[in-house]
Amino acid sequence: MQEYIVELQGVSKSFPGVKALDNVQLNLKAGEVLALLGENGAGKSTLMKILSGVYTKDIGEIRIFGNLIENINPQKAQELGIAIIHQELNMCQHLSVAENIFLGREIVRGGRLCRREMNRQAKEVLDQLNIAIDPETIVGKLQLSKQQMVEIAKALSTNAKVLIMDEPTSALTSKEINDLFTIIHKLRENGHGIIYISHRLEELQYIADRVTILRDGQYITSMNYADTSLREIISYMVGREIKEKFPRVDCEIGDVIFEVKHLNAGRLVRDVNVSVRQGEIVGIAGLMGAGRTETTRAIFGVEPKTSGEIWLRGKKVAIHCPADSIRAGIVLVPEDRKRDGLCVKLSIRDNIALPNLDILCNKLTMVKRRTKVIMADKAVYDLKIKLPSTDVDAASLSGGNQQKVVVGKWLARNSKMVLFDEPTRGIDVAAKVEIYNLMNELKRQGIGVLFVSSEMPEIMGISDRIIVMCDGRVTGEMLIADATQEKIMDLATRFENKMNQVTA
Amino acid sequence: MQKSKNRNVFKRIFSIRGVGQVVTVTIGLIMLCVVFALLNPNFTSPRNTNNLLRQIAPFLIVGIAQSYVLITGNIDLSIGSVLGMSCMISATLMTKGMDPWTASVITLGCCLLVGVLNGVLVANCKLPPFIATLGTMTIARGIAQIVNNNMNTDSIGEAAKGFRDFFYYGKFMGIYSTVIIAIVLWIIFDFILSKTRTGSHIYAVGSNIEAAKLSGVNVSSVVIKVYMVSAFCSGIAGLITCATGGLGTMDSGNSFELYAVAASVIGGVSTLGGQGILLGTVVGASVWGVMQNGLSLAGAPVALRNIIIGIIVVISVLADVVVRSGKWNRKTKEVSATDAPQIEKRN
Repeated sequence: MQEYIVELQGVSKSFPGVKALDNVQLNLKAGEVLALLGENGAGKSTLMKILSGVYTKDIGEIRIFGNLIENINPQKAQELGIAIIHQELNMCQHLSVAENIFLGREIVRGGRLCRREMNRQAKEVLDQLNIAIDPETIVGKLQLSKQQMVEIAKALSTNAKVLIMDEPTSALTSKEINDLFTIIHKLRENGHGIIYISHRLEELQYIADRVTILRDGQYITSMNYADTSLREIISYMVGREIKEKFPRVDCEIGDVIFEVKHLNAGRLVRDVNVSVRQGEIVGIAGLMGAGRTETTRAIFGVEPKTSGEIWLRGKKVAIHCPADSIRAGIVLVPEDRKRDGLCVKLSIRDNIALPNLDILCNKLTMVKRRTKVIMADKAVYDLKIKLPSTDVDAASLSGGNQQKVVVGKWLARNSKMVLFDEPTRGIDVAAKVEIYNLMNELKRQGIGVLFVSSEMPEIMGISDRIIVMCDGRVTGEMLIADATQEKIMDLATRFENKMNQVTA
Repeated sequence: MQKSKNRNVFKRIFSIRGVGQVVTVTIGLIMLCVVFALLNPNFTSPRNTNNLLRQIAPFLIVGIAQSYVLITGNIDLSIGSVLGMSCMISATLMTKGMDPWTASVITLGCCLLVGVLNGVLVANCKLPPFIATLGTMTIARGIAQIVNNNMNTDSIGEAAKGFRDFFYYGKFMGIYSTVIIAIVLWIIFDFILSKTRTGSHIYAVGSNIEAAKLSGVNVSSVVIKVYMVSAFCSGIAGLITCATGGLGTMDSGNSFELYAVAASVIGGVSTLGGQGILLGTVVGASVWGVMQNGLSLAGAPVALRNIIIGIIVVISVLADVVVRSGKWNRKTKEVSATDAPQIEKRN
């Protein structure tokens, strides 16, 4: 029994409306790197948050060093030697390396901070890892990769035996990844257990000893990395049967109505080409951070474009800001409706009217109240938004109805092209179906629909054509008839192989 | 039956955004008036009432200024200094022999420039509004001091009688012209805020700047506009001050930006943006004016007056925060239940 340092058995966790984890297990030995794999939403982060005490499990057993642990909380997890290194680093940018490492456990003698001692001990830990960083450097001045190493050093200085790394390489260059892997190898030799979460499957060959795969909150399998292949891993990650029924409407496919040519905007939108034909829904698939949201925002004019052209119904449109785009008839239903979509303190009616004030105003820019009321009522009726009255705050609606308000404000004007970014995130099943029906209805009316989704079944169920993005580039495109989950996943993990550049 | 119908009418009035707070504060205002009337019967005399209204007017004008800016989620600290600057520039020009109306137009032009500067600094240069307007506050005060070589001006003289009547001493239908000016400004700016496209944009920017941007609102232009409104109103208040004393004083308008915040906030304008109506600002400014006037009539020394007014401001806002936080908790709970899984899905 001493073999495993971490054992999770039959762990389940529900959030209102969603079963995030269902009877999941995971084992970790000392001195190994376990890759925890799964698609977006498979439950990796939730599981790690349970292990590090951020969430409490509903049922299940957690054993650490063979001891059954109940009521784990972040502090207790730290005492037990579990440290998590987040994708977004949690460092005080204005403090020094040593101060960060000893944050909350400062060494005090006679009521005074003992900086010299802290610097000495910090140096010791950093030396152990062969990291050449002066402990007195201000963290904000270090590169991201160095900050990450400081975070690892911080974890070690608390005597962590289990390190959880969540997407540690996503922001690093190839040289930095190499350095990180060297450190991971060193930790493994020293007998630490490492749980490594990454979407970059090609990295696994350099570090992973075993893999554990989750899918849709369920445990699928664990195996030795040496005994498997990337193909097999992908098939386990996506190998679900799509049982849900999606309302599908077939329309005659016409000419290209919307085209994006050679769009460039920052690192996450590189030479993107997308086209939408009359009567089709185009889905953009990809993993988190593939640049899909950034692409929609660049098209809509929220983020500046470095280059690229946008064509709508045979005409080139110049889009410098969202207002240009709206005027041309291209609109965006953003990913995060609370942050980008709704003014939650304003009424539903005001929200629906906001982008349509050009239509609602007379020559004196006075808002025509009656037209405004009619417009809001029509949107509520057409989209079947459930609400007590259009006077209530947008914040008081459920997620699904809020989403419908965001869609409704765009449909109140005659838009020609609608971009949806994760339109069904966080809303219940019935509302999802209504959103799908709505997208189909748009398609039938000859309005172009381009939608980004992280949910594979949804992408496969609704789109007529699928575009796959990875790391800011379009890596593939297929008609729905040719699409398989494996194919999409394979394209979605086509990272430019950073490691080869180093070894070559 | 009768009862339910009554409730409906009530409901309809209360369904106008922000009216709830205004009603509570109005009740408070009436109570204050009753107390002061009991303390000193002179408080309700026609003479004092008219005086009181004229005292409230400048607070209302700067309150409108600050409310506009606060509703977009920003703040304007330069209001008091722009008032002083307006007072000094107009008085200096008039003592140099310029026609009062030309002087007024030039003065307002100068004030609008400060407003544009504020707007550009906040909207285009992305400075925090507190810092940007702290800078222009100091600059405007400096200009107020420099226009007449660091001295208050002499009397603006007989030639400016029309000017003084128009802004302060004149009466129209038995009401002082200052009050009329304030009411006219209020009607215009309330109309813009509640009935026009620009007004809708102002609320949207204050409520959620990202959503406003993604709905095609030109955020910078909205922010510049509100700072211009603010500077314009402050300029008018400066002309009133000049007309009142008949000369320019360098430190006029000191702390007015904060009185303006008080008037707005008592009236239910949220310092976080997106909430509040100008009717509230009217009530808020009235509370402020009534306190000043009533306490001095009741014979309270200045120091005591300040302490009491300060306490009233804090209490009125505190009460609002308490009421609102209760409301919010309920709402956010409802929403978070459906949104919790959304966070989880982001692996």
